[in-house]
Amino acid sequence: MNYKSFIQYQGIVGMASTMIFPFYILMLKNAGTSYAQFGWAYGLFALTAAISYPLIGRASDRVGDKALLSIYSWGMALLLLFFPLAAEIWHVYVLQILMGILGAVQKNSEKAVLARHVDKTTAGKQIGIYHTYTSVAAAIAVIGTGYLVDFLTIASIFYIASIAFAVSGFIVTKMPIYAANPAFLEEKTNI
Amino acid sequence: MKTYVIAGIYVFVLILSAFFYFNGLQETESNVHNRLLPVEIKAVRAGASEETIRNIVLEANEQKDKISIAGMQHSQGGQTLYPNGILLDMKPFNQILDLDIASKTITVQSGVTWNDIQRHINPHGLSLKVSQSQNIFTVGGSLSVQAHGLDIRNGGMMSTVESLRLLNANGEIVELSSSKNPELFHAVIGGYGLFGVILDVTLKLIEDELYEVSIDTFDYTDYSEYFQKRVLGNEATKMHLARISISPENFMEEMYAINYSLADRQDRLPEFSELKEERLIAAPKLLLGISRLNDEGKELFWNTQKTYIQSIEGNLVSRNNAMRSDSEFMEYNNASKTEVLQEYFVPVDEFTDYIEDLKVLLEKEKDFNLLNVTIRYVSRNDQAVLSYASEDMFSLVLLINQHADADGIAETGRVVRDMIDVTLNHGGTYYLPYYGYPTQEQMARSYPRTDEFFELKDRYDPDHRFMNIFYEEYRP
Repeated sequence: MNYKSFIQYQGIVGMASTMIFPFYILMLKNAGTSYAQFGWAYGLFALTAAISYPLIGRASDRVGDKALLSIYSWGMALLLLFFPLAAEIWHVYVLQILMGILGAVQKNSEKAVLARHVDKTTAGKQIGIYHTYTSVAAAIAVIGTGYLVDFLTIASIFYIASIAFAVSGFIVTKMPIYAANPAFLEEKTNI
Repeated sequence: MKTYVIAGIYVFVLILSAFFYFNGLQETESNVHNRLLPVEIKAVRAGASEETIRNIVLEANEQKDKISIAGMQHSQGGQTLYPNGILLDMKPFNQILDLDIASKTITVQSGVTWNDIQRHINPHGLSLKVSQSQNIFTVGGSLSVQAHGLDIRNGGMMSTVESLRLLNANGEIVELSSSKNPELFHAVIGGYGLFGVILDVTLKLIEDELYEVSIDTFDYTDYSEYFQKRVLGNEATKMHLARISISPENFMEEMYAINYSLADRQDRLPEFSELKEERLIAAPKLLLGISRLNDEGKELFWNTQKTYIQSIEGNLVSRNNAMRSDSEFMEYNNASKTEVLQEYFVPVDEFTDYIEDLKVLLEKEKDFNLLNVTIRYVSRNDQAVLSYASEDMFSLVLLINQHADADGIAETGRVVRDMIDVTLNHGGTYYLPYYGYPTQEQMARSYPRTDEFFELKDRYDPDHRFMNIFYEEYRP
């Protein structure tokens, strides 16, 4: 597997998601008014993630990391296009639920890819390198976006992040990572 | 292959999203933009109908509550706010009541925006006589601040009001015009919501026209003469706007003007009469953002403007479209800084000397972040009690980026008061809707009838049912 292109991919999606994450609180401020609503918006995100993990975990071994990562990339790309249109608090709740599912897809797949491709003896070092690159990308994104919001509208941040996710969607299809579980295929042929 | 299908769907949704987003921008949301005045209020009540508004006033009378009246809330001096008061939100009171095409008048509820009116009258080939350059404000709000705009031929906004109905503090409705209850009429226009609730207004309209845009650039020393001869002196010219450089290269020297003059081929009006919607704002917003940062940014902003205006020379535009301007790019979100406006009026003949003095003052203030100066013309119009144009004046609108903390407020306040002194020394006045930096004494010098204004307020509303921070700060 091409570990470098996986890091590139994670760098891009990491950039795109950290780009919007701290700033979409500004969006919430326009839609919601109370701390309880903030709490719910984030709580729904975490709850749907919790519910989705077992399903996603199983799917990951069946359909492969590649399929899940492309669902994540294209899903986020599409979802972010709805953020600039959110006007009511319930819009934000719906988006948060969908974000929760997609967030779980990403987290699970990220770890699955690492687990499958990292050499057990040097896992610590490899994961360290992986986190270094992705964290640098995230830091650049979040600082840069701070300046961007001053110059552009908040809505344009969502469009930029959405396009970044779409680009990552193309990258993931070209990536030679794990496509499906041979064990599962074997199981199928045995029947 | 599958990826391209997904990409295709993505692009489709992207276009849809952008379409709805930019459409949504038309319905401008209003928030209190300025965070310099954090005020706790008791309740926000929506004025949905005449009956509700009347009940809100009567109830406030019983409860001895104060009412502040709010439209889009773009005034920055607390004119729409009162601590622990009831904020009467007039935005829902937005019906167009009657359009009389024959006599060219329209009657609207005061929460209607100028944009609403434009959309309603444009199909009939009619146009507003006077409105602000931006069309997002409510009619009631604009009348209460006695706004003005690009038009140089139709006098002040007051002269375009045929009549209006006012709900007073007793819950009674009175009709006002320049002949009916003129005393109250002249206090309510430019009255900052202190005399009652403007319910509905009948405005005079004129016919839509086709204009040709022309551009001139010149030195500030030539502006007064240029304006009188080439703009005011040219009967075909109906609207005018100028800007003076804030770029360090030619600070307060270089100027450009955009004029709108009757086009030769009026029969082509239908080609241009469809109302334009807000354009993409990313480019001007980016440039304004860069100009906030430093001198190079300001230079770039000015030079880009000069290039841009060359590209609009000779454009044909309908009057209605000329009166719809973009303001979204000025929206600014920064936790520690904010943007404020100032507006000064100086007699046309005084312009050159005034700019020289203003320049000396501003060049000393290295930290004063001035982003834009737009100049318009207001003809003499001194009927309002708080009239800012006792003779023909240029109005200079200054956009200032400042820190929102106590030091920032103190610093900006000092410079603003100095600028107002310079303005007063040249026989000028300052505009009242902005942040309460000016002193009471400066208000009295700008507005010789200040005492009369507050006495009228106390006479017509002795219990001070209608109150705002502006009154508290400036009542001598």
